[in-house]
Order: sequence, then C-alpha cells, then structure tokens
Amino acid sequence: MREPPYPTVLKPYGAALVELARRRPEIVCLGADLTRQTETDLFRDEIADRFINIGMAEANMLSIAGGLARAGHVVFVNTFGVFCTRRCFDQIAMSVAYPKLNVKIVGFMPGLSSPGGPSHQAIDDVALMRAVPNMTVIEPADAIETTQAVAAIADRPGPVYLRLKRGEIPVIFDDGHRLDLGKAQVVIGGEGCDVCIVASGMMLPAALAAARALVENGVSAAVLNVPVIKPLDSATVVAVARRSRLVIAAENHTVVGGLGSAVAEALAEAGVGAPLRRIGIPDTFAEAGSRDYLFAKYGLGTRDIIEAAWRGLSINRPVPVAPVIAASPGAYAPV
Amino acid sequence: MGGQSLLDATKLRRLATRIRMHATDMVAIQGFGYLGQAMSSAEIFAVLFGGAIRIGHDRFVLSPGHYVIALYAAAAETGFLDPAQLTRYGTDGSTLEAIGSERTPVADLVCGSLGQGLSGAIGFALAAQLAGEDRYTFAFLSDGEMEEGQVWEAAMFAAHRRLDRLVAVIDANNSQVDGPVTSVTTLEPLAEKWRAFGWHVAEVDGHDVDALAQAFASRHDGAGPLAIVARTEILGRVRSIPPTVDGHFIKLDGDLKAAIMRELEAGLA
Repeated sequence: MREPPYPTVLKPYGAALVELARRRPEIVCLGADLTRQTETDLFRDEIADRFINIGMAEANMLSIAGGLARAGHVVFVNTFGVFCTRRCFDQIAMSVAYPKLNVKIVGFMPGLSSPGGPSHQAIDDVALMRAVPNMTVIEPADAIETTQAVAAIADRPGPVYLRLKRGEIPVIFDDGHRLDLGKAQVVIGGEGCDVCIVASGMMLPAALAAARALVENGVSAAVLNVPVIKPLDSATVVAVARRSRLVIAAENHTVVGGLGSAVAEALAEAGVGAPLRRIGIPDTFAEAGSRDYLFAKYGLGTRDIIEAAWRGLSINRPVPVAPVIAASPGAYAPV
Repeated sequence: MGGQSLLDATKLRRLATRIRMHATDMVAIQGFGYLGQAMSSAEIFAVLFGGAIRIGHDRFVLSPGHYVIALYAAAAETGFLDPAQLTRYGTDGSTLEAIGSERTPVADLVCGSLGQGLSGAIGFALAAQLAGEDRYTFAFLSDGEMEEGQVWEAAMFAAHRRLDRLVAVIDANNSQVDGPVTSVTTLEPLAEKWRAFGWHVAEVDGHDVDALAQAFASRHDGAGPLAIVARTEILGRVRSIPPTVDGHFIKLDGDLKAAIMRELEAGLA
C-alpha cells in the first residue's frame, strides 16, 4: 500500500469502460445529461454508436436499460448516485432487479463528497440498493479497484450498483492489488487487536490514517477494506471482529442501512460480542459545502474515528491528535 | 393583475441589470458557478419580484434550485433579503447555498432535484382553493427539466383541475449540462405541448420586460392554468461573455468579471 498523500488519476472508470467496451460489443452506455461528470465523455467520443444520452429522465432510463438487457446487452447506466437510486427506485426494482438483468448502475458523488446540498448528496444510496433483492453493491476505495471493478461487474451476472467518487481518484493500493468481489481484505493488522476499523470507499484513507495514529499511541488497530457491501463477506468481518475488543464501521453514508448496518447484522447473527461504533452521517440530511467542511461537521474525519476508538475502549489518556496530511494539487489526503 | 402594480419598464430593466450584477459578484466568490442561469432569467425574476408576485401573499416555487442565485439577487434588490448576505453565497456554513434547499429564504418551495416544482406548486394551488383564498401560485421552471416525466404528470393534472390561479413561467434558454437542450432531446413545439395539455399559453421574448408583464397580466379566471414560455438566451445577451463558455456552469476570472460589470454598469447609466 502507498503512503498519503496519495497520487491521483483522472477518470479511471471512464477509461476502463471504454477499454472493456472495445472488446465487448454487447456493452452499451446510457447517461442522463451528466456525460462529462460521469467520465462517459470518453465513451461518447470513442464509441459513439453505443452511447445513448437519455436526457434528464432517470425512470425512463432504467426501464430502457431493462429492455436493452433483455435483448442481450450489458448496460452501464451513469448519473449521480442520488439520482439513479432515489428517482427511479421502482424502475430499478421491477425493470432491472426482479428479472436479474445485466444492468450496471453507476452512481457518482457519494455522500458528502458532493458540495450541492441534500438534493445532490447520495447519503442513502447504499441503503436503498442493499434493500433490493438480486442487487450487488460495490464501493471501490481507489483508482486501482475502480479500474478492476468495471470488468468484474460486467462479468458478474445480474444487476450491480457501483458507487464512485468523482474527479481526482486516489491511488492507495499497489499495482499488484486485486479486487475480489467475494472478499473483504485485511489491509492492516488483524491478529488480535484492540480495535478493528471496517471501511469502504472514501473512508478507507481516513481509516488508515486513524489506525496509524492509534498504533503510534499504543492501541493496536486493524483495518478491513470492504469494497463489496452486498453481499458482505461476513466470514472475514466476523473473523477479524472476534479477535478485536471494539469494531468501528466507517462509511460516507447515513449510519442507517449502509456498511455499518451490514456489519451490525453480520456480528449479531454470528454472536460476536465486541461493541460496534458506527462512523457515518448521523441520520440527518446535510447541507451544501466543501468536502473538508462537511466531513468535519458531520463526523466523517480521521479525528472522528480516533475519538470513537478512544471512547469505545474507555482509554483515560488524552485523545491523540489526528494527523493533518497536506495534499498538494493533484494529490489526495483524507479529512 | 391581482397583485400590486408593476414597476415601470425602465425600473424593471434596471432591476434585471442589478440582478445580473449581484449574480456576477456572487459567482466571483468561487470563480465558477450558475451565472448563466441568472443571466437568462434576470428579466423574469425582475418582473416576478417587481410586482407580479405579491410577496408574502402569493406563493412562489422555484423548481430548478440552481437558479436560486437569481432569487437571492432579486430578493436583495427588492428588500426581502439583506444584501450583505450575498457575500456569503456558496461558502461553507452559509444558508445562501448554490443549489437551493429547505434553508432557502423568501421562496415557499425550492427544489434541487429537477422536475418536482410544478407538482409542489399544484399543492399550494389546491390548498388555496380548499381555503377559499385568492392567492396565486407562481412556479418558475426551466426547459431542460421538462425531460423529467413528472413535469408532464403535473401539467396534465393542473389543467384537468382547472387551476386558474397557477402560473408556470418557463425559462426556455435551451441550456442543460450536456449542451443545448435541442442536442439532447426534442421539447419543441413547447408552447403547443402546454396548450395541448390544456394550459393557457403566452410565448414571449424572455428578455423583454414589457412582453413578460403583459404575459403575466393575461391570466384570468376560467382560462385554466397559465404557462408563460419565456424565450431567453443562456448568456442573457451580455456581450462581454464569450459565446464559447459552458453556459450551465461558467468559469469567471477577474478579467471576465470586470468586463461584465463594465457592460452592465453602462446599461444602468
């Protein structure tokens, strides 16, 4: 794994989709008036005949995708995560998920990474998609996983929701990293720890920074990266949790129905007794603002993970100060 | 007109220019943003806030929430918002968000998710009917959001219920994120569509305050809901903005801001 601040790449999803679609003529790409914002300007420019801009009509788009998939296509549907889950929930359920069609719903700007306020912040998309039978829910943590996710979800039969950060995407893992749709991955520690931090997507860098600060202050910490939120790799989550005194789930999403809920279900069903703390948006709509402002205000920072560990372990010493990692333009550091 | 008398045309034109100047100042805070929306809708907001709406009595719904910059500017110019607040537009912690929300002042409803405003306006119109009140409900819509099917569900319903005191004003600026609306889908013939759905329709030059004022005055009981198709340009005929910019989300540097302000100030003289 690399060290922060992380280098970034632009449009890894868009590039990977073009590369795959060149070899796979059954792939078609649909959009809803957010072509550049969903990195599919690359597809439009390279494979124009299989790029279809439906316009701002998400319900129509999802049912069209169902029809295309029934005719044999693998359909990538692209818009902001907030619009492709909330606006067309019934169409996803009935036109796509119930018939188990090959529609890959790609939702950008997760959680509070959007500056646009409640109408543009997908804070409940994972909860919504987790609730739909037959749906796979994936949130890659970096550009390496994002690139690999494109081919992986095309090969996975049935509907998939792929949750992607927009813009400059950090490279956290080494080039040899392999995304496994069946496995969560212990990236730090794991052999008997004070605290185990289970993270997905944009919260992985914060989890890593928090773990480092905890270890430097005498608290052993494991970090589990969970790119596949549904179906959850419960076996790995439970195994690591059994060796930990405290479990923290960290997600850029409401604490209701997302990764933290999935972890809670897995631990409870397995009878794991370790307490669970959930880092996430505390069951509230947020507001407009910059990523740093919103992550700090709504408790999604490295500091919040460290404090949750400190309180959860009832440590009496002062809470360690969260590291401030400066990022030059083009680099990425967690809040 | 059911409302207070409109300002005269000179004052309305001046108000439109002041809206554009405030919007330029606000977008300059971040250096990019929804300047085009304010440029295309400045005359519409001038007429709405210059007398078409009885603020505090009639209802006002802003469907495309990213137009809220024009609402802030118009409200500040007409005494419904402290102009000092405009300097906090789009900054962390400010209630003057770049996309309107439940925290937005002055308007009765602002939707950031497109295509939902007309339905909300129907709710206000039905409530006024139920209460026996003479309130009008004004809904500001944009042409791009008419790609959402919900707009047409609302259009059908409002005409079916003969909601005479509902006015939809449509900023038809032919602009959306991916480019001209005409490059993404075919909305035209827009006026004929609304007419076919059962609305009374006025189609006007949306940069002509006289024509807009006449359009608002053309509503009358028994005619059904009124749709005003206001034909506008995304850059609002401000010549100092290069026509090559992305009108949906304009980048504004110091030089461009200065040029725009010079042009607008000259128009005030």
